[in-house]
Amino acid sequence: MLSGPVLLVEDDPSDFRLIQRAFNKLPNGFEILRLTNGDDAVAYLSGDDPYENRAAHPMPSLVLLDLKLPRRSGFEVLQWLRRQPAGLCRMPVVVLTSSRHTADINRAYDLGANSYLVKPETGGQLDNLASEFRSYWLRLNEFPSFQAAL
Amino acid sequence: MAEPLLAKPAALSAGLESPDVFRRLVYSVSDYAIFLLDPKGNVASWNPGAEKLKAYKAEEIIGKHFSVFYTPAALAIDRPNYELRVAAETGHFEDEGWRVRKDGSRFWSSIVITRVLDDGGRIIGFGQITRDLTELRESDLRYRLLIEGVADYAIFSMDSHGNITSWNTGAERIKGYKPEEIVGKHFSTFYTEEDRKAGLPEHVLRTAEQTGHFTGEGWRVRKNGSRFWASVVVTPLRDEEGNLCGFSKVTRDMSDRKALLDQLQQHAHELELRVRERDESNAELEAFAYSVSHDLRAPLRAISGFAEALHDEYRDRLDEVGRDYLNEVTSAAGRLNTLVQDLLEYGRVGRINMPLASVSVETAINGARRQLGELPPGTLSVAVPAGLQVRGYPQVLAQVIFNLLANGLKFHKPHAAPKVDISVETRNGMVRLNIRDNGIGIAPEHQERIWNVFERLHDRESYVGTGIGLAIVKRAMSRMNGSCGVDSKPGEGSTFWIELPCA
Repeated sequence: MLSGPVLLVEDDPSDFRLIQRAFNKLPNGFEILRLTNGDDAVAYLSGDDPYENRAAHPMPSLVLLDLKLPRRSGFEVLQWLRRQPAGLCRMPVVVLTSSRHTADINRAYDLGANSYLVKPETGGQLDNLASEFRSYWLRLNEFPSFQAAL
Repeated sequence: MAEPLLAKPAALSAGLESPDVFRRLVYSVSDYAIFLLDPKGNVASWNPGAEKLKAYKAEEIIGKHFSVFYTPAALAIDRPNYELRVAAETGHFEDEGWRVRKDGSRFWSSIVITRVLDDGGRIIGFGQITRDLTELRESDLRYRLLIEGVADYAIFSMDSHGNITSWNTGAERIKGYKPEEIVGKHFSTFYTEEDRKAGLPEHVLRTAEQTGHFTGEGWRVRKNGSRFWASVVVTPLRDEEGNLCGFSKVTRDMSDRKALLDQLQQHAHELELRVRERDESNAELEAFAYSVSHDLRAPLRAISGFAEALHDEYRDRLDEVGRDYLNEVTSAAGRLNTLVQDLLEYGRVGRINMPLASVSVETAINGARRQLGELPPGTLSVAVPAGLQVRGYPQVLAQVIFNLLANGLKFHKPHAAPKVDISVETRNGMVRLNIRDNGIGIAPEHQERIWNVFERLHDRESYVGTGIGLAIVKRAMSRMNGSCGVDSKPGEGSTFWIELPCA
């Protein structure tokens, strides 16, 4: 079960709205937080300014990460995340991008992505993706603890 | 004192301890003339070798002065007495020169005259050994003439320090010096100043001496200061004991060949530059196409996504015209999406850079069929032997077959159901897949250009498509070291074929 929201790092506002709409159509949806660049994603996950307050900015259960992002790219966020101290480095990351490039796919997995999804071309396919995503990650997947001691 | 040597050795005499053993030895030598002279130079003894060489019998020559063996020219300068004087003063005299036989004919001989002393140190006579070197001298002379006559190669000899001792016609022609101008000079004269400063001449001699030869190419200088590209071989000359006595050097003027080589190298360099430029601009173009196609997809997702959202949520509030417009938007977005995907695929096929593998033809065909989806029964028939393998890329081959099958199914006659069959031919290590349809066919004048990107023969209303499918096929086949083509007549269907090496 998800204990926190899903953090969606996506710079394209249209993509964000369409993804959000697809997830919102599902019954028992989950909370989606949106950030628009890699630097913000790193700041949020580290709890740095302006995200120190974890009550207002809760630790996500999962990151949905675009690769082509302003400032720090998705690859760089992934690389940073996997080098964090025990706990945070376990954060599940699902890449959601428009690239089907083999080199991109391989690099994402090499850097520790847990899954790699390609943005669907049509709304129908996106609805389908949202629904499958929810059943897998909400119903089937077991999440790790993000606390170092455990 | 000459008496004992005059007579034949006694018939009965025993062993090497016998006092006349040396007489016997001298008497048995027939290849060397060995005889004694008295202190004045009169012949005092004569052996069979002397008789054979000079043609005098012992009784004819004993008592005569040895100057009878000399040529008039030698006699004119009192050569015989000079030689005896040298032998008397220094102990021996050695020389090579012409001598005269009894019949007046000449022979080239090597002679050694040794003085013979008694116990009190007084000269009691001279011993002389003469050998016929005529044959040796003639072959030597022939050889020398041969070398001197060679015009294409500079052949010259040097002493052990590199001073020139002989000079042939070729050397004169190539380097421009006459023999009298250059013999005695050091061979470094032929080197450029830079090479001389760098110590190249010394290096050449040292290498030749140490390794048995030196070969090399480089610039050399003619008498007039002009340069030529030389190919040289330097070989050390050694005497019988192995002591270095000089060098031979063979030089060839390779300026013409050098110029050709330089030109060739220049062309190769230019070609390489051009290829590199082309590769770079190709890579840039590929990167550009990739980036454009990629970036086009984001707004495309938005167009189709929001068109669908509009359709889902606001369909009821649109009239028929509004819904028709919306359909146009959705369908245009769909077409654009296909186009972008095809372009990406076209680019991707061009960028493939991995080793070719063994691919099952059957598996590739099954992959293509899966992509096609469900077809009416009897539409597609496949006659391919199980286990047939070719060299290629599995997914690319499946994509190629899919494109060809999709084309065959698409371009059917307006009122006939499409039918496509796949067959195989194997020959000369190549596997050819024939994909034959019953469609509209292609006029001969169009059969070339259908393989170009964006080339379409029909309007969109008749047959949908991006005009990239066959371009992908052609590119993919070329990437897999294969080929492709078409046989077709309008109205009689088409047979597209692809060919790959057997695995």
